[in-house]
Amino acid sequence: MRKLLFLIIAVTFSTVTFRASAQDNLSPQRKQAIDSLALEKVRDLSKYISIIGDKETQWSDAQRVIERAVELFMESSEIGVSSLNRQDVNYYKVREYFDRLMQLNYSKVAIDWYKIQYVSDLERQPDGTYVGVITVYQRFQGYDKEKGLVYEDTTKKDITVYVKRKETQIGGRTIGFWDVMLGDIRVKETSK
Amino acid sequence: MRVNYFLLFFLLPLFAISQGSIGSFSPDETVFYAQTKQMNQFFLRFNGEEDIQGNRLYPGDPGFRDLKARKGYVKMLFDQSNTSISDDTKFVFIEQALNKKNPIFLDFHGGSWFAEVSTTFLYKKEKVTIILYLELEKQNGGYKWMFSNVYFDRFESWFTHVNDTANLKFFIHPMSHELDFMNLHKVFRDPSTLDYYLKKDYNPDMMALFVMEMKNNNLSFVSVDNVKFHIFQVPGWYFEVSYFNRNEMNSGWLISNILRVTEQEKKELLQHYSRSN
Repeated sequence: MRKLLFLIIAVTFSTVTFRASAQDNLSPQRKQAIDSLALEKVRDLSKYISIIGDKETQWSDAQRVIERAVELFMESSEIGVSSLNRQDVNYYKVREYFDRLMQLNYSKVAIDWYKIQYVSDLERQPDGTYVGVITVYQRFQGYDKEKGLVYEDTTKKDITVYVKRKETQIGGRTIGFWDVMLGDIRVKETSK
Repeated sequence: MRVNYFLLFFLLPLFAISQGSIGSFSPDETVFYAQTKQMNQFFLRFNGEEDIQGNRLYPGDPGFRDLKARKGYVKMLFDQSNTSISDDTKFVFIEQALNKKNPIFLDFHGGSWFAEVSTTFLYKKEKVTIILYLELEKQNGGYKWMFSNVYFDRFESWFTHVNDTANLKFFIHPMSHELDFMNLHKVFRDPSTLDYYLKKDYNPDMMALFVMEMKNNNLSFVSVDNVKFHIFQVPGWYFEVSYFNRNEMNSGWLISNILRVTEQEKKELLQHYSRSN
């Protein structure tokens, strides 16, 4: 919470010039500040996915983490998954996706995130919200107790990020801040 | 000095900044760095608005829209496995588009580019493929993708006899008006022949049919199967961009087809993607 408040304040104070100019165009500095907020959310999501998928995680802990993970997303966000052997896309609600991840039938699961990431420009929607896409790559390995490694894939995850200007009252003052929420995610298996 | 861009892409991970990165997994990521990961990146690389580390360049930044770097980037934006695009074509395209005096830049908001989305629908409970074309439209200072046209072979098949000059059987004779068109009931007896009776220059509105079939619940969406883009922003040229999912540096969003076109040909092609053009 303290961290969030710090972020709100940090972004707020660095936005004064921007607010005074125009809200239609994001300056490169502003975009960078928003990018790091968005990346923070994606980093949280990646941590949550690793915890949810980990077989060592207790069921009750996983449920709590799923709640936190769902809170990162806009309502009605979906995750579209396709694999190399299947052209069609399976769409899951966010919670359903995490539930499925938790219930995967492996004795051990290893989820690793590549260092590489790509953050798109932010585009303004007609409703004034900005939207961007962050691309990250994840390696998944599923182990069987007897057979060892039985499944492995690397997926490209294109994550929608919504950025909205909001206002809040702190100590009687109206403070503007950028609220970042995650949206739909497209998960594509990369070629081996 | 001629810069070897393959080598440059190969060295990318060495330049890459890990700051802010979400992961710590460190296998060989060369392919992912070189890959054109989003259409956004395709635009930036084409325009020379991204440095070798993948950082966004803005006006005033060193290397912003640098012509030499762009030549290397644009070369890499072609699907190298496509032998139907000759080196000559690539050379002429790059020379014209990246002309020193009047270099062309792709503009996300500039219009004249379309998304082609291949989809699966259920049409009266049968799985069918429908191609949707979308175009960006401005509203309230923001942008949104809008359907500009649709292709569904079933709809096309309803109009195959428009302007069929060999038809000597299905017509409404020229004195029908004197009989209050009482013969119309014969025309409508067999709906499969209805298209013989349409004016020779009739151009059906497929989007209207699509909307009607959706609203009548005859069509229901299943999934998106494939996406590509058609770009008309470079004068004298049309090119197509597709996604190549392969474990090579030349992967991601790449030019999969390119044609030299006159303005008239461009106009005709555009009609395919947007009915209003």
